[in-house]
Amino acid sequence: MSTAVRGRTPLLPRWLTADHPLPWLAPMFAMILAFGIYPLAYSIWLSLHQRNRFTRVDEFSGLANWVQAFGDQRFIDSLLVTVQYTLTCLVFQVVLGIAIALLLDCERRGYGLLRALMTLPLVVPPAVTGLMFLLMQDGQFGVLSYYLKLVGLVSPEAPILANPRTALWGVMAADIWQWTPFMVLILLAGLRALPKEPYEAAAIDGAGFLQCLWHLTLPMLSRVIAVAVLIRTIDLFRIYDYVYAMTAGGPGTATETLSFYAGRVFGVANFNYAATLSLIMLVVLNVVCFTFLKLARVRF
Amino acid sequence: MQGSRGARIARDVVAWLVVLAFLFPLFWWVLASIKPYTAIFAQPPVYVGFDATAENYAVTIGGQSRITLEGGVGGQTGGASSYYSLPSIRDSLIVALGSTALALVLATLASFGLSRFAMRAKDHVVFFVLAQRMLPPIAVAIPLFFIFRDLGLRDSHLGLILAHTLINLPLAVLLLKSFFDDVPVELDESAMLDGATRFQVFRMVVLPLVKGGLAATAVLCFIFSWTEFLISLLLTTGIRTIPVKITTFVTSTGTEWGLITALGSAALVPSFIFILLVQKHLVRGLTLGSLKS
Repeated sequence: MSTAVRGRTPLLPRWLTADHPLPWLAPMFAMILAFGIYPLAYSIWLSLHQRNRFTRVDEFSGLANWVQAFGDQRFIDSLLVTVQYTLTCLVFQVVLGIAIALLLDCERRGYGLLRALMTLPLVVPPAVTGLMFLLMQDGQFGVLSYYLKLVGLVSPEAPILANPRTALWGVMAADIWQWTPFMVLILLAGLRALPKEPYEAAAIDGAGFLQCLWHLTLPMLSRVIAVAVLIRTIDLFRIYDYVYAMTAGGPGTATETLSFYAGRVFGVANFNYAATLSLIMLVVLNVVCFTFLKLARVRF
Repeated sequence: MQGSRGARIARDVVAWLVVLAFLFPLFWWVLASIKPYTAIFAQPPVYVGFDATAENYAVTIGGQSRITLEGGVGGQTGGASSYYSLPSIRDSLIVALGSTALALVLATLASFGLSRFAMRAKDHVVFFVLAQRMLPPIAVAIPLFFIFRDLGLRDSHLGLILAHTLINLPLAVLLLKSFFDDVPVELDESAMLDGATRFQVFRMVVLPLVKGGLAATAVLCFIFSWTEFLISLLLTTGIRTIPVKITTFVTSTGTEWGLITALGSAALVPSFIFILLVQKHLVRGLTLGSLKS
């Protein structure tokens, strides 16, 4: 530090100057406080009250909403649908993402274009993606249904999205299509940043492609994969748009995810219970992500 | 991985097939937007040999009434007003640009702070910021619905901008921090030895070096706001962002697939251009700082 600075009488305490992290972080935290924390507190308040149907006043009801949620079979079902949705999509997106990233990580001509084209699904609004797959999977005129019927994978009597056993897969197809490219993008970035030396050493030792993949690439990429999985888990668990556009939770409640159920409760103006359901989601997601970060030893 | 000529060709073929398979839904979507209404539903599906039409674009973007276009025949009614979507495009642009700018300013300052100062609880601070994204959209929307009502922000551009900024902050901070981390701290130190203040270092030394990262982050923020659906749906009635507008074309009397695909295709154009422009920086910066040991 120069003597000029040391000699100056400080006008401000150090934590108010640019040499302390606080002023740098303060604007963001002000934003989070106003539009993140305050709404959260409001949600908690809502979840501890019930609206009196006649006076239309929120009355304190303790944990009644929470107790109601844990006895609510529809909530439990939607939780199971959400978990199934999240895990299935994660597996597909991670496996496909790794495979495609390895495939496209090549310096030859044309691969730059392929990588650019691969990112295009990312820019489609999810609500539009939902409609896109709805159009393709329609039982009567869908192009995807047509070919699947042709090879006998789908029966004409049971369209993909109208059959409780296949509807969730139909919705997941949209998610997997849209977000596998996100995995590819992150993993390509990771692959680019890997050191070259271990591969040269392995080549001298005569290691094959699969050996390199298993013993070098995947271990070195594990941190990138972990962060990508974390971000995807957060978004998958809150899935709403595809369900809204494609099935509205049906047939029956076969594709009703937590977000969608909470949205439906919100729609009938039961704000207190909708807030409770969202808070349960938040708690579950926080616990899952925090545990995952600890287990995967991710540091920022 | 060099391999023989045959192996290289095989790889090229597989790579193109995979990418084309991923592009097929987009291709089918854009194709439907220029098909005459009946051709959309043809079985077996038609790829060529239909009379291409710009009618769907004329109705959604051009604001023409379908009845005039069809010379007064046809079952569908509903004039220009309900399908005309240029105001939606304007609303979406205002909200996306506004929230991108705000998120970028807040996240740049914060991630510079997180990148340049030693903090004991840094992991927890980052997790706390990331946790803002874990709020289900409903959980954000319910309280904001009431708060905005009290503040007079309901159904306003500013309200949506604030909500989208909050959603965008976590990813923006994570991304920008990794870009800042790539700039060696020694640069800051030598500039400060030369008498620069911390803020001058930020503005004149570090910021110019992460321009590409800023662009990539801005594009991602823009796309997330441009495509966001649920919060826009719940917080607005008069303002209609594009994703919300499109879903209104699914009506109780039928789904206007021609108009949906036209507006849906048009809505992709700005994001396509932006993401292709920052491709290079995205592929370099999306490691999210996670390669550090």
